[in-house]
Amino acid sequence: MARPSDDQALTDGELLERVGVGDRTAFEELYRRYARAVLGLALRRLGDRGRAEDAAQDAFVAIWKSARTYDPRRGSGAPWLYAVARNAITDGLRRAPEPTMELSDGPTGEPSPAERAETSWTAWQVHRALEVLPSHERPVIELAYWRGLSQSEIADALGIPLGTVKTRTRSALARLADALEEELR
Amino acid sequence: MSERGPDFDELVGPVDESGLDPVEHDRLRNVHELLIAAGPPPELSVQLEAPPRRDAVRTRPRRRLRLVAIAASFGVLAFGVGYLAGGGPDYETFGQVTMTGTTAAAGARATIDVFDADAAGNWPMEITVTGLNPPPSGKPYEVWLTRDGARLAQCGSFLADPDGTTRVPMNAPFKLRDYDGWIVVEEGSDVPLLTT
Repeated sequence: MARPSDDQALTDGELLERVGVGDRTAFEELYRRYARAVLGLALRRLGDRGRAEDAAQDAFVAIWKSARTYDPRRGSGAPWLYAVARNAITDGLRRAPEPTMELSDGPTGEPSPAERAETSWTAWQVHRALEVLPSHERPVIELAYWRGLSQSEIADALGIPLGTVKTRTRSALARLADALEEELR
Repeated sequence: MSERGPDFDELVGPVDESGLDPVEHDRLRNVHELLIAAGPPPELSVQLEAPPRRDAVRTRPRRRLRLVAIAASFGVLAFGVGYLAGGGPDYETFGQVTMTGTTAAAGARATIDVFDADAAGNWPMEITVTGLNPPPSGKPYEVWLTRDGARLAQCGSFLADPDGTTRVPMNAPFKLRDYDGWIVVEEGSDVPLLTT
């Protein structure tokens, strides 16, 4: 890693410009920021974890190869990355269509394509933003939102005072708000 | 917590009690709603920990069905641990792993309840430990997935309760079948304290 601290301070768009001229370190930083978001997008599209992992790798190869076409005058990095990843995932689906049995969570109440697109974009933004959280704040968000633990239970689980849980939760939410507003709008 | 996620007012407090400016309170509530809408991000498996090379070409597309993968994971749990609870992926509790203390932690025991994978393909787990007191260093303990004795993927860490009994939620990436064992060590140490 030549200059990780430098790359961490760059915007997604600045990283893309560096990737476009073959900067591997910039690509690694982009990967760190977006790996879960890309995998999450593939999971939503494909349903199957194994195929989603393949598609996520394909998507990053596509990002590598297409980065030189990124034009910062046409928008920030996040929507460009989303579009390239989505297209790579869709291309992979066309090449290797799967039986639909594994995707049928239920015939009723399925979202429309527009609703799915909006949900996917929201998830993309949020999962990307989560990467900005420091390691001491991320667990309180994960345990509260996706494991269903109360603030007291989180305090017990992490071995920290309840007041610290509350402080970290509020701080994490503010940090996420900043990230969503500044980088991803 | 409801199916819509945690109660924002419990997390941050009502606007008139939170001490926050109403605009900031709304901003945090918006993030709260987005977190619920987005759902959990998937954990990365070992195969995805490093980015691909630019010239990477996948010559043999993998066409695996989810049920096959789940069955394979289930098989690892059965083979590597020798104990299963529940009857298959339709059960809330997918399986249970038992761990015993090594000579470095004689008398310690642990069970790891593995629950059904969440929407993102992560495996929620809960480890229950008995007989493992906090180390003198005060450092946390770490739970790792192993293969051929090598530590490969960390599932979480925990601080032991003074009475030696601890229960902690954790998470793991999807491919449990890539591993054949579990281990608990003190942070920064290679000495196994609990193993499968």
